[in-house]
Amino acid sequence: MNQWLEDVIAHADTQAAGHAGATWLSRQRALSLDKLKDNAWPTRRTEAWRNTPLKPIESRPALLSPMAISTWQEPAIPDFESIDIYIVGGELKTDISTLSLPAGISIYSLHDEKAAALASQFMGKIKPETHVFGLVNDVVADAGIIIDVAEDAVISTPLRLIHTATEGVENHSRLLVNVAKNAKVTILEHGIGEQESMNTSVSEFNVADNATLHHYRFAFFTQKALHVGGCHFQIGESSYLNSTIVAFGSELSKLNVDVNYLGEHAKVDMNAMYLLAEGENFDLQSVIEHAVPNGTTDEKVRGIIGDRARANFGGRIHIHPDAQKTLAELNNRNLLLSRRSLVNTKPELEIYADDVRCAHGATIAEIDETSLYYLLTRGIPRSKALVMLNFGFIQELINAIEDESIRNWLNNMLSNRFQSMEVQVS
Amino acid sequence: MLSIQNLHAGIEDKSIIKGIDLTINPGEVHAIMGPNGSGKSTLGYVLSGRDGYEVTEGSATLNGEDLLDMDIEERAVAGFFLAFQYPVEIPGVSNMVFMKEAVNAAREARKQEPYTAGEFLKLAKEACKQVQLPLDFLKRGVNEGFSGGEKKRNEIMQMILLQPTICFLDETDSGLDIDALQTVANGVNSQRDPNRSFVVVTHYQRLLDFIEPDFVHILADGKIVQSGDASLALKVEKEGYGFLGINYVEEDV
Ligand SMILES: Nc1ncnc2c1ncn2[C@@H]1O[C@H](COP(=O)(O)OP(=O)(O)O)[C@@H](O)[C@H]1O
Ligand SMILES: [Mg+2]
Repeated sequence: MNQWLEDVIAHADTQAAGHAGATWLSRQRALSLDKLKDNAWPTRRTEAWRNTPLKPIESRPALLSPMAISTWQEPAIPDFESIDIYIVGGELKTDISTLSLPAGISIYSLHDEKAAALASQFMGKIKPETHVFGLVNDVVADAGIIIDVAEDAVISTPLRLIHTATEGVENHSRLLVNVAKNAKVTILEHGIGEQESMNTSVSEFNVADNATLHHYRFAFFTQKALHVGGCHFQIGESSYLNSTIVAFGSELSKLNVDVNYLGEHAKVDMNAMYLLAEGENFDLQSVIEHAVPNGTTDEKVRGIIGDRARANFGGRIHIHPDAQKTLAELNNRNLLLSRRSLVNTKPELEIYADDVRCAHGATIAEIDETSLYYLLTRGIPRSKALVMLNFGFIQELINAIEDESIRNWLNNMLSNRFQSMEVQVS
Repeated sequence: MLSIQNLHAGIEDKSIIKGIDLTINPGEVHAIMGPNGSGKSTLGYVLSGRDGYEVTEGSATLNGEDLLDMDIEERAVAGFFLAFQYPVEIPGVSNMVFMKEAVNAAREARKQEPYTAGEFLKLAKEACKQVQLPLDFLKRGVNEGFSGGEKKRNEIMQMILLQPTICFLDETDSGLDIDALQTVANGVNSQRDPNRSFVVVTHYQRLLDFIEPDFVHILADGKIVQSGDASLALKVEKEGYGFLGINYVEEDV
């Protein structure tokens, strides 16, 4: 046991003894608390944590009492209109009752009994039980929202959930999204901060038959802002999930992504990128479960890893015996900027059906000498030329983003971040 | 300005340039002709500072400064420009960003303020029109998916924007149809200036009909075997390299 987990469990015990909260929430908390108590805390021998040491969290107290925080960062995306909801210091800061929402969409707080039917159907049921920090989130998450998009509703205004790391209190927030049949919506999860803190945002998405979800998760936690979060999806027949994940790294940052195919002819495009500056850590673990036939997954993961930064990627595509005619592609490419940059990559295909088309691969890239020479002959300084060549590497994924404002914003922000990183390739 | 003396160079242990002397004064146009494999491209690479090409003897100075002692990018900002025979494709790096960085690097070396995005866009559009490339080529990856002719136009566009003092054009005319050839030649002629000189590597008189050279040199087996005025190119056009005792074998490249 360690200080942090002890505090988490003590907090959950107190909470259980006190006010109950919404029914499904207390039921979920009780179940998960038992599991958390039984669960062995991960060590370096635990496969899922082999390359991501938990040291930064283990020795500190858990800061779970909400603090009255009145000012926080509001990350703007130029020319981008969205309905923004803030979770800061473990509290929901946006008065969701006053939001003007388009027809077909309802938003509830985590404690709203009106969301009982929805929440008891999905909450804690889309997320696999194996994630320790998912269980932590189950027992301590107090702030959160439930978004319900009605059948046939096409919502053109994106919704953005913003969580900012603030010193002195942790952020354990929860998001549950139901995109009903034939509905269409865009949801952004935007996490930022660098102050000493811990964030375990967990989100669960039910994408029903023939529904479309455009999803973004920005994990811009750096420096002392620790983060172990999860994005979990289940997708119905002929549904479409388009997910873009962009991450920086901190002393400890990890994201678990799970996709479960429930119906046939569903399609997932998942593009993930991580840009790790000097000394940063980031770990991405994705598991795609093709349990039914005729599913299509295209997952592209690109990483740029700075000096003494460490990236870890695990991507598993599991094709069950019934999942005939699955098309699945998983590709991870990494670019190391220095000899002291480190990446562990493990793309895995596990195939139990015979009529499938699958490919997976991982590469660690080097600079193309001829391209570098060409840029140099035009007078571009070597350090800048290296930046340009390397950034081209993830530009492909940025260019694939449909929304022009998000695309331009990411392009500028990521290239600025990258230009400040030092390239030390000889 | 560019002064090459007794230059010997090669790759690894293979000697390719075997003693070249060449002086190029401001404003002059020099044509270099010669059979495939004679070392024309190698000369361009050596002058540009490409890795792997080793100078074993001789010197090259640009405006009195030792060119061979400079880094590749220093040679460029000092005014040396190489238009490649085979320009490389760099997907993911936008042509516009690439050219802006290059032009601003040259400006910085001249202690000028860098262009803003808006200022540069205006210049780039003009240059793009001048070489008759559609404007969306500015947004594409550097040479990405460009045809052979479009790549050559893109080289000339870069030359126009960079305003170098010595331009080494390596077979910029090869593979161009007559319209493209004229566009490229017009681009070059628009840049002719008493302070700028050109080395034009070509196999064909037809380019030299548009860009009239002051001097023509024949390179064979790493050496200049004959130099003359524009009439030498006409003679090569009529007679091939036979009169020089060289067997010209067309290689597939
Ligand atoms: N990378 C290389 N390694 C070894 N030999 C080379 C290389 N590149 C060119 N050469 C040789 O150098 C000679 C000159 O080539 P090049 O300069 O390309 O000729 P040109 O441009 O006149 O056709 C040729 O014999 C060619 O085969
Ligand atoms: Mg050549």
